Amino acid sequence: MANQTPLLELKNISKRFGGIHALKGVDFDLYPGEVHAIVGENGAGKSTLMRILAGVYRPDSGEMYWQGRPIRLQSPKEALDHGIAMIHQELSVMPVLTVAENIFLGRQPTTPTGVIDWKRMYEEADIALKSLGFTLDVRKKLEDYPLGVHQLVEIARTITSGAQVLIMDEPTSALSPKETERLLELVRELARQGHSVIYISHFLEEVMQVADRITVLRNGEKIATLPASVTSKDELISLMLGKEVDFFKQPYEGAVVVKETEPHEVVLSVRHLTKHRMFENVTFDLRRGEILGIYGLVGSGHFELGKAIFGLWEYDDGEVLLDGRPLPKGSTRESIDAGLAYVIESRKQGLFLSAPIYQNISLAHLNRITGFLLSTQNEVQVAQQAIDRVGVRPNNPHLAVGNLSGGNQQKVAIARWVVFPPKVFIASEPTRGMDVGAKEEVLKILRELSENNVGIIVISSEPETILSVAEHILVMSKGRIVADFEGVEVTKDMLLDKA
Amino acid sequence: MSTRSDVHSTSNVQMKIRDLFARSRELAPVWTLLALMLFFSVTSDSFLSLENFNNILNQIAVLSILGTGITFVLLTAQIDLSIATMATLGGVVAAFFTATIPLPQPIPIFIALAVVVILGIINGYATAYLGIPSFMVTLAMSLIASGLSLYLTRGRIIFDIPPIAMTLGSGRIGPIKWLIIVAGITLLIGHLVLRYTRFGRYVYMTGANARAAELAGVNTKHIITAVMAISGFTAGLAGIVSLGRLGSAQPTGLDSLLIDAIGAVVLGGTSLFGGVGGIPQTIIGLLILGVLRNGLDQISVNIYLKVFVTGVILLAALVFNIVFAGKKSE
Repeated sequence: MANQTPLLELKNISKRFGGIHALKGVDFDLYPGEVHAIVGENGAGKSTLMRILAGVYRPDSGEMYWQGRPIRLQSPKEALDHGIAMIHQELSVMPVLTVAENIFLGRQPTTPTGVIDWKRMYEEADIALKSLGFTLDVRKKLEDYPLGVHQLVEIARTITSGAQVLIMDEPTSALSPKETERLLELVRELARQGHSVIYISHFLEEVMQVADRITVLRNGEKIATLPASVTSKDELISLMLGKEVDFFKQPYEGAVVVKETEPHEVVLSVRHLTKHRMFENVTFDLRRGEILGIYGLVGSGHFELGKAIFGLWEYDDGEVLLDGRPLPKGSTRESIDAGLAYVIESRKQGLFLSAPIYQNISLAHLNRITGFLLSTQNEVQVAQQAIDRVGVRPNNPHLAVGNLSGGNQQKVAIARWVVFPPKVFIASEPTRGMDVGAKEEVLKILRELSENNVGIIVISSEPETILSVAEHILVMSKGRIVADFEGVEVTKDMLLDKA
Repeated sequence: MSTRSDVHSTSNVQMKIRDLFARSRELAPVWTLLALMLFFSVTSDSFLSLENFNNILNQIAVLSILGTGITFVLLTAQIDLSIATMATLGGVVAAFFTATIPLPQPIPIFIALAVVVILGIINGYATAYLGIPSFMVTLAMSLIASGLSLYLTRGRIIFDIPPIAMTLGSGRIGPIKWLIIVAGITLLIGHLVLRYTRFGRYVYMTGANARAAELAGVNTKHIITAVMAISGFTAGLAGIVSLGRLGSAQPTGLDSLLIDAIGAVVLGGTSLFGGVGGIPQTIIGLLILGVLRNGLDQISVNIYLKVFVTGVILLAALVFNIVFAGKKSE
């Protein structure tokens, strides 16, 4: 491989978005038949680099070479013409169509009269799949197959349309362990057949398993490119985070841990909670006044867990106990009346943007604030107290929520739950899309709530968020709890390591 | 609307101006109504009179009862295509148990209302709990109701109708017909419920953002089922009152009211996407439709062109409302 010319070469690539330097002088190259992984934290520049490779963005400076010749990719189509294709996390398949139709989407073989040649399509689809090493009933609708198969079909489509370079973005985040294995096998098979794969993933073990070389990005810069065979997961993490990492020697499972604070009584007990294809056998306790952080990547099932506990969704197995009594599942009304509070990750889903602030706050408690007849006065009064306590700015309860800044909208979402003190407060990605100042304010409110004996669960995919408030941390990965940190000092690399 | 960076990004004043502008856009239907009234007052000498206004109210009374129920449904971002045939069915059932299988009054009326409410609940259940789009469910129910009407009447007109229906439909107190009073009370109760009760608030919130409503503890499935039942009820009521107006139960008498009812409500400013609108808007819309129809009669438009002209002006008014009002952003 060392003697070949690289298939694709990027030299000194830089890209800015306004004041943010997404990429600074990054070099990257790719050989034919190579699996080259790119790793880095959120915000390191992986997606920007990917998009430049796929023709979605154009670099501000730097050069790109294809088979030794300089090129400029002005559009995704040009990238496709060169044979560079991207497989996104959100697949672009049509589940209502058959496997064969998906493979030949937009390129169906036709008879001389212009009509689709179904026989040829089915045959060629079959051949295409077999050459990649698996067999499917190509006449079956894609929706009858699980998600893992959808991905395989999209890859088949991409390869048969002539892609030489495949860029895969977090391909295994929604796959079961078996499907993951199958995908990694396919990636290696593609490399054996001469295709090149750029593999972007948070899952360092997979990366170590499947890649020939690994490039580490940090803060928009390329830190290192190493052959996978000479590096280790620890080294990758330390390169990603930029410091020497000191791991605890003690094991985390079954270790005796000394708690620093006096234990309060358990307020919420989750036992063997399971929801098919989302999370499995989740068990943990939450104490009054405790801030429990549940960390995981998107797709780990932690967000879904929060929704199931609160009753937005039903779970399939297990139970939730509040103060020892079983909490009915699937009813947000019962959860709220019993003392649960929940803030969803998406403000668009959680708030009524065209309605005034006071209505957004009062709706959850109308049954306690007013009788059969509404009393706007009561509502406004109650809302004003909540607004002032949480610090929503501007503090006029009649303003439409849509007019507020993102941070203040989030505060309104929280203000809803300080009207009547909840027993348990579940905050799902509470500081998404907020600047540092607003983030701090929101986290401060959560800390205050915990000081008032409310049990808090913070569910997040941002390690910083979890680490700045949580005293007890669970890590979820692919639907299961894989780590439980309590009473020990936890660092970011420890979280990333487990995810 | 945008979310910008923090704290005092949008001042109080800016926001108040924006709200004022939004409200003036909501008044577009009122301008439309006034424009039409002006136009017809000028082009016809018989339009502008107390007697004619009475006429207009009579003409839109039955529609108003239907309009109340459908307003509830539209506010939850659903639709009910079965209201017209359910109205017919309401009248038919009441007449059936008066003429064909006579029962002591007012039992036939109660049976009629019970039947349409049950059908409405079925609409609601299928939409909310089974997840079938309300468009499809109510379309099917429309056929069911129509079929039942045909069956019960054997395709013929029933002339023996409940006395109460006769009174409500044709009777009067002094100069005002009972018809108008019933319509007025229905609209009033609808308005009070929507604006001043917890249930009404839940209706608006379900339509504005069903997910957010769920997160706030609103049982959106219950709400949707309830509004469908309400829509069924008002349809039945409209049908019974109509009996009196026509003096008989006709198997397909009221079917044309569907488009009129939905059109009138939307014309007034209630959004098909839910969460926006209400009875005051519906009243304006009904008046627009009533004035339009009546006015075209007054200026003696070619009878065969009436429908066409009505449609054209309706379209123009809708375009005016929407374009002037802008799209509701989230």
